[in-house]
Amino acid sequence: MDIQLKRGLLDVCVLAAIKSKDSYGYQIIKDMKPYLELSESTLYTILKRLETANLLTVRTVEHGGRLRKYYHITGAGLKRIEDFKGEWEEILSIYRFVTKGDDGDE
Amino acid sequence: MNKREFLARLRLGLSGLPQDDIEERLIFYSEMIDDRMEEGHSETEAVGSIGTVDDVVSQILTDAPPTGPVEEKNKPGRSMRPWEITLLVLGFPVWFPLLIAAFAVLLAVYIVLWSVVLSLWAAEVSLWAVALSGAVVVFTAHGPGGVVMLSAGLCCAGLSILLFFGCKAVTKGILRLTRRAALWFKSLFVGKEAA
Repeated sequence: MDIQLKRGLLDVCVLAAIKSKDSYGYQIIKDMKPYLELSESTLYTILKRLETANLLTVRTVEHGGRLRKYYHITGAGLKRIEDFKGEWEEILSIYRFVTKGDDGDE
Repeated sequence: MNKREFLARLRLGLSGLPQDDIEERLIFYSEMIDDRMEEGHSETEAVGSIGTVDDVVSQILTDAPPTGPVEEKNKPGRSMRPWEITLLVLGFPVWFPLLIAAFAVLLAVYIVLWSVVLSLWAAEVSLWAVALSGAVVVFTAHGPGGVVMLSAGLCCAGLSILLFFGCKAVTKGILRLTRRAALWFKSLFVGKEAA
């Protein structure tokens, strides 16, 4: 898959994982597991990228005598998901155009 | 391998990266291991499921650095040139008092800001006191004096409600300013750190 497209998809997937409630690294990996395998280093890179772009914020919370980082989606992050939905419609339309006639259903 | 060994080896493997980046990544991996252990995995299992240190290091180095190239991040931490150190030492009698003076001025401004806030809250409390005493006096004083006190009390009550919102906004503003200033000050010494 094209690296830019894949990067964009992964960003939106991670944003979707924290859309309904704040989450932490390991939980995000577990939530995404049925759909795609994500390594810790990849997740770290994505989270940093999203934080730099102000699509999510990070807060450290004490949990069971240690610290855990929770990720919270921002308004811009929610907008990114909505934009993605619109873009995806466009991609699907292009896909339909590209594959038109492939099954002989002209 | 236990968690401590894993993190120590990871630190060694990432030694080419900027120091704050290494620290952040180690915290991230430490949290990942802790979360797995909390789920019921043994320490060895939790560390094993992350992968070997070599794999993790190569993955990290393959992934594009999230905040620019290493050289760029290293710039602020570069070692000083001899002439810079000489200038710094020779200029100490000049720059140090100036630094102290600048700090004192900033501190004074900050104290003045809080004094203004404190005065506003004092005015707020006084207005409430007048409003309350107006309400009490109306029962004890008779004639025009009581009416005057009642009106003054009502006016003060109204003013105090308005002033309350003003006081709240100013206090919040100064607290926000303090937080920003503290973050900026911290960033001068320790670099950016996640909240």
